[in-house]
Amino acid sequence: MSPLDPRLQEALDGERDPGDLPLDLRDAYTRLTVATQLLEAPPPVSVASRVMAEIRRGPPPVLNEGLARRLLHWWLGRPRAVTVRLRPVWTLALAAGLATVLLLPWSSGIPTPGVAQGIANFVGHFPGARSVEVVGSFNDWSRGVLHLNDDDGDGIWHGEAVLPAGPHEYMFVVDGERWVPDPLAGRYVDDGFGAGQQNSLLIVRPASAQP
Amino acid sequence: MSWKLVLALALIARPAHLGAQTPPSNGTTRLPGRVPAAALPAIDSLIAAAAAESLPTEPLVQKALEGSAKNIPADRLVNGVRRGLLQLRQARAIVSHAVPGQAPPEGHVAAVAAALARGLSGPIVERLITVAPNEPPGPALHAAADLVAHRFDPDSAADLLVEAHNKGLRGVRLLDVAVAADHELQRPGGRTPSEALAHVRAMLPNVPTPARRP
Repeated sequence: MSPLDPRLQEALDGERDPGDLPLDLRDAYTRLTVATQLLEAPPPVSVASRVMAEIRRGPPPVLNEGLARRLLHWWLGRPRAVTVRLRPVWTLALAAGLATVLLLPWSSGIPTPGVAQGIANFVGHFPGARSVEVVGSFNDWSRGVLHLNDDDGDGIWHGEAVLPAGPHEYMFVVDGERWVPDPLAGRYVDDGFGAGQQNSLLIVRPASAQP
Repeated sequence: MSWKLVLALALIARPAHLGAQTPPSNGTTRLPGRVPAAALPAIDSLIAAAAAESLPTEPLVQKALEGSAKNIPADRLVNGVRRGLLQLRQARAIVSHAVPGQAPPEGHVAAVAAALARGLSGPIVERLITVAPNEPPGPALHAAADLVAHRFDPDSAADLLVEAHNKGLRGVRLLDVAVAADHELQRPGGRTPSEALAHVRAMLPNVPTPARRP
């Protein structure tokens, strides 16, 4: 650092009139005085405020799309060491869940029939009915198991079920109280309770023998 | 291996293991709560009798559940189950006569009882069983019952089914024989039942398979 001229120092200390200084020193005196005033004055915006303003402004759009894609490829393609810690029970559960998802047929609303099973179609024309269900030997004559649907409200109720291959007796139950044989069954058998009522008879073909 | 894993594997393995040790049930455990209390003792007694005679009990359990679901009065419900027991006894006699010298194959008695319930006569049933004593008789019997229900002569129907069997048709394909005969009967222009049967006989074993609904 070059030493300060004593005359300039005296002028800065107020011990000499700046007007008595030579021209070059007077110019230096003026610049030093302005600098001193700038340092003494408080900044118009604090540093903290400026930093926060930069943060709020968000990241600058510096990368173009091609470069970003290349960086992503590089990051994804680079081999990395990954540590995975597994609990055997949860791993088995996860495997079972995956197997279920992969093995279940999602294209159809009913499961795929097994070797000794077949698909039974039930159709009935019951205009104005509020509900129609199928009750028979395949569900121990239980109510509420196999409901037919009439989504378009045209009075034609239908449903499908996977049943064991072989003969099954059944009836439709309309509106929860009216027992009706299936008019399309084609096969009927006396129910044996002495009132001459007939059950419908369905013979389910094994899936392998179904057309 | 954690204790949780051991427990999970044990729970998974448990049902099959215990299933082998569970004593056979005659199905009566499904009846309480569904069959009217007034009918339950008599029905239990009928089912126990069937089990004691080595007859299948499931048809009787089904009949009891069916009658209960239909709210059949207790006396008629018991009579319906009793009638089922009588048909099972008759069926066993027919099977024993058709297949002498051996215990009735599994499923034969129930299938024959169902055929009797559909109206087939004992001699027709026996004839059809004799043709193929070691095959499940259900399809042939139902095919015969279908033909009889459509007013075909029972003996002629049995003849057709025996011939179909001799030409290689088995199982549910015998049902297709009955369907084909019915179609021939309903064909425009009118065929007599014997003409329809003759026509189907001529096409054996190449009877068509129905579209979807059997």
